[in-house]
Amino acid sequence: MVNITINGKTAQAKEGEMLLSVIRRLKIDVPALCHHEAVEPLGACRLCMVEITKTEWDGWSKFVTSCLYPVEPDLIVSTHSDQVNEIRRTIMDLYLARHPNSPEIRKLAEEYGVLKTSYEVQVDGDNCILCGICTRICDAMGFHAISLVGRGHGKTVAPPLNEAPPDCTGCLSCALNCPTNFIEFSDQDDKRTIWNKEFEMLACVKCGATTITREFAEHLSKNRDIPFEYFETCDSCHRKETSLTMGRIAAWTKEAQS
Amino acid sequence: MKHDIGKLPEILDRHPKSQESLIAILQDIQKEYNYIPCEALTETATALSIPLSKVFAISTFYNAFSLTPRGETIIRVCTGTACHIRGAELIKDQIETALGIKAGETTPDGKFTIEVVACVGACAMAPVVINNEKYHGSVKVSGVKKLLKVKK
Repeated sequence: MVNITINGKTAQAKEGEMLLSVIRRLKIDVPALCHHEAVEPLGACRLCMVEITKTEWDGWSKFVTSCLYPVEPDLIVSTHSDQVNEIRRTIMDLYLARHPNSPEIRKLAEEYGVLKTSYEVQVDGDNCILCGICTRICDAMGFHAISLVGRGHGKTVAPPLNEAPPDCTGCLSCALNCPTNFIEFSDQDDKRTIWNKEFEMLACVKCGATTITREFAEHLSKNRDIPFEYFETCDSCHRKETSLTMGRIAAWTKEAQS
Repeated sequence: MKHDIGKLPEILDRHPKSQESLIAILQDIQKEYNYIPCEALTETATALSIPLSKVFAISTFYNAFSLTPRGETIIRVCTGTACHIRGAELIKDQIETALGIKAGETTPDGKFTIEVVACVGACAMAPVVINNEKYHGSVKVSGVKKLLKVKK
């Protein structure tokens, strides 16, 4: 265990734990767009920047991305010092210039009092902030269907060769975890389309509601040892099934006790 | 479009089948074909058991790799600080006019590709234009035509 001070309060952290995770555990609101608990930190969005110092640093302090900074003993952290807030405002300002139409970015910037960017607005800009959550999550899911392509200002998230990704199973992990809801997909009847690839949706054998894509179900049943039939029943019907089972158990228990 | 990737098995054989060989293999493919055909990317990914998305990310990241066919002669115009000050922009314009294409493009006959690079480490010779592997220093606008004829 390591003792650190965050905003004047002592906190305990596990050795090797990243600052952001301690900060989040203390329910201190530090913004972060590229952070996701399921994947390794990347430090791409720069918003989780905090000020750190130690008593022996003679008044010197430095600014670090808390998602990538492992705790050190006796660290003194300020998450909302004037300078930190100023840094965050500058970053928000830049984000606003690049993604003026993203409601998520605007809301976050507003919280820091940035209502209008002071830079030139990129009119044809999209809402992708290149945080890489989608690609890292896709890797964590084991599909590796999409990646960050190109570099510099031409960088984008794209499937290989910009064609429908052969390894995508339509699980939607990328789209649902995108901090700016940039990744488009559509669910129509029994078809799902994402990354220009069309998927067949499985229908619940009991109520007919769609569950997950056939590819995703096949992947899960093959690699996670779950019977394929499990995915042919929707969540609501699974729950109904569970309550019936629980009812039966209660009846047996009662029977056994009497 | 189908591409001839007949030399690929030979290139793959030259390297150990591990992740570390990826860039070396891509360099060899680039050298052999002057670009990387997309079939070669897929084959390389399979041969090295690396996800295709990763191979694509790496091949688009480095400027040394091109996924579209490039010209026999690659004209690199340096626009680094020293060359920029000594008129690289004018040289670039002149080359573009002479070949009728923009920087980054290839002439329809497949003879020339213009590339803009930022510093080639020969600042004393600024402005620098590189015709394939040959460095030309102190290039003047009037000398551009001659420079393009060097290797035709």
